[in-house]
Amino acid sequence: MAKTTYGKRKPWVKNLYSNREYPDNYTDVSFLKDLRTNLHVRLYTFGEAVAGITVLNNQISCITGFLILYHMMLVESVAPTSILVPSCIITGIGYLFYRGSSLSMLLLGEDSKTLVTVLLFGYIFSPMLHTLTQAISTDTIYMTTFFMMLFNLMFSDYGLDVAMVSKAISLNAAIFGAICLASRLSTSYHAFVLLVEAAIFFVLYPIMIAATWHPLCMVPMFIICCTALYNISRPVLYLYACSMLFINFVCPFIFVRQQRHKFNIHGPWDEAIVEENTDKNLDENL
Amino acid sequence: MRICMVSDFFYPSIGGVEEHVYNLSQMLLALGHKVVVLTHAYGDCTGIRHMTHGLKVYYLPIKVCYNQCILPTAVCNVPMLRAVLLREQVDVVHGHSAFSALAHEALMVGALLGLKTVFTDHSLFGFADLSAALTNKLLEITLSMVNHAICVSHIGKENTVLRARVAKHRVSVIPNAVDTALFTPDPAQRPVNGVINIVVASRLVYRKGIDLLAGVIPRFKNTPNVKFIIVGDGPKRDLLEEIREKTNMQDRVEILGAVEHAQVRDVLVRGHIFVNTSLTEAYCMAIVEAASCGLQVVSTSVGGIPEVLPNSLILLAEPDIEAIYSAILVAIDRHRKIAAATSSTANGNIPQETARARRKRLKKSVKSVPAISGPTAATSSQTEPVLCPHRCNELVETLYNWEDVAQRTVKVYDRVLQERAFTLSELIYAVYQCGAWFLAFLVVGHFTLLLLERWRPRSRIEVAFESRRRPS
Repeated sequence: MAKTTYGKRKPWVKNLYSNREYPDNYTDVSFLKDLRTNLHVRLYTFGEAVAGITVLNNQISCITGFLILYHMMLVESVAPTSILVPSCIITGIGYLFYRGSSLSMLLLGEDSKTLVTVLLFGYIFSPMLHTLTQAISTDTIYMTTFFMMLFNLMFSDYGLDVAMVSKAISLNAAIFGAICLASRLSTSYHAFVLLVEAAIFFVLYPIMIAATWHPLCMVPMFIICCTALYNISRPVLYLYACSMLFINFVCPFIFVRQQRHKFNIHGPWDEAIVEENTDKNLDENL
Repeated sequence: MRICMVSDFFYPSIGGVEEHVYNLSQMLLALGHKVVVLTHAYGDCTGIRHMTHGLKVYYLPIKVCYNQCILPTAVCNVPMLRAVLLREQVDVVHGHSAFSALAHEALMVGALLGLKTVFTDHSLFGFADLSAALTNKLLEITLSMVNHAICVSHIGKENTVLRARVAKHRVSVIPNAVDTALFTPDPAQRPVNGVINIVVASRLVYRKGIDLLAGVIPRFKNTPNVKFIIVGDGPKRDLLEEIREKTNMQDRVEILGAVEHAQVRDVLVRGHIFVNTSLTEAYCMAIVEAASCGLQVVSTSVGGIPEVLPNSLILLAEPDIEAIYSAILVAIDRHRKIAAATSSTANGNIPQETARARRKRLKKSVKSVPAISGPTAATSSQTEPVLCPHRCNELVETLYNWEDVAQRTVKVYDRVLQERAFTLSELIYAVYQCGAWFLAFLVVGHFTLLLLERWRPRSRIEVAFESRRRPS
């Protein structure tokens, strides 16, 4: 195109059929004027990050607590009944607290049916579960338990809506870990108590947490775990405390620091977002 | 000149890219250039085939990995690509589509062989998710080795410049086109009893906004003289069938399933209104084809769609059910208006004689500046009666034709042929700038080529026979 006609030609229009006078690789001044950056970016403060990470620490402490109970039963420092009774009482209180005013006879009946089924079958099957993995060496058992608990940590529901989260996988991993550990205990009654504890720690406790969680709940949990570990093993205590502090304070700090690199581009090329029709919402939309 | 089109997508597969490659190649052949097409084997379709007008297609024996693409290994097919490029004495390697792994690979081989490279990007990408980030990185590396890039719309250019970080002057905008001689209107096929036919033709997938369509159809539950004709197949077909059942519209929603591309026109001409609900689209050939068949187009205003058609042919709506619904109502209103105005013909179309006479008149004015109602006509056209189908066809013909596309593409080829080929050090520096890890592949590719040069020297490669080529 001749440069001399530059001032005379028609103004450039953003469509594909005019602009015959312009070369194909012409770039108009309006280029990228619809570009938007960081439209939906939310910057978190350090306080928010610290409060948010406590759900992960809570899960770690939950696993630690379960393993502490296992250790207490393994070394026979506590009788199984003296673990079972208090935890049942606490669970009962927790249940009343959770149901609150919505509690009715009907609901109580339903829930106690579930409870009786679980306890009955747990008790019947505990001798079998106790001997299920007895032939496997202790090292293998502990390693498997480690990985299972790791899976539990990875797939737990921390309130994020991502594909990784799977309540089924995390629960199954934890229960499998518990069954592995059960074989190391002395009697099948011990194994039964351990499985009940596993149900309390990995089924009921997360339900409770999802309903009522406050970041400050982490403090008593941390102290209880530390005290218990102090009596069991010093190195494990240090390990636990250090990783807790690292996760709770250093990680959020790094996260908040890295936030300044957030850079997101939006423009007309973005895919429009529409609500997808699923079996659930189809009827409402009609 | 000798051009090699490379894309994973070619006939027998059907789609926008395939059509573009085929039509562009045909036009380049007509202009006297030599064109070969490189693609991977499609089942039985393997080896070398000759298509209409002597278009030579290499169906390379490479396994398909995912979504009609070959495994993106970057270096595994170097010997085969080198053999083809040298045998055909190619001057310009022209890759198509960012999804095509074969195109990326051939462009790298072309650049290493010192040939000129052009890349056409047919799609838009976001920046938010992981797969987009990976594809963008790959595209950035490929485009750093490419002489010139072509996009099909201005939005596409903005998108490509952003995600592949190419210089703006190295990206041209050359739209797709439609063969208006194949997509001619035929108002006699429309129903005569005052029913308005609404046609939808697309793959029935999420990206084409079928969920929006599923929300729009029930709104016409109580409008008895509106019929839907849906062409295409895909995972969302069940949804549309379910909607049809639940709203008791079995007699008014016709779901035809997949139809061969040649038969799409026969369906299109039965309709008055074409609805496109895509959620993202770089160019959207379907709306141009529909407009060429004389349908009033209603489309979501996403991506490059607002650039494609003048306001007299298209009604744009935001991508939500309410907006699309009201745009369709406006379109129906326009049709009803013309039906009331001309009571002489049943379909409300201007009689054939007038249309033909006008076509003659228009033929003369076509060569000069096409008269198009600009964006200023937008507000007034809302109440205007719809254009005569034949007039639509003529208008689209003035806007887009493959000859124009081919000529503009040849201009790009001429440009890159005048440029100096990249030297190896330039290539290495360019790749190092955008992703040093890819240097490993580049080095492997380079040494493979050196080895092949020893083993099968360039001078010993038999040159392909070229039959009666017109001088370019």
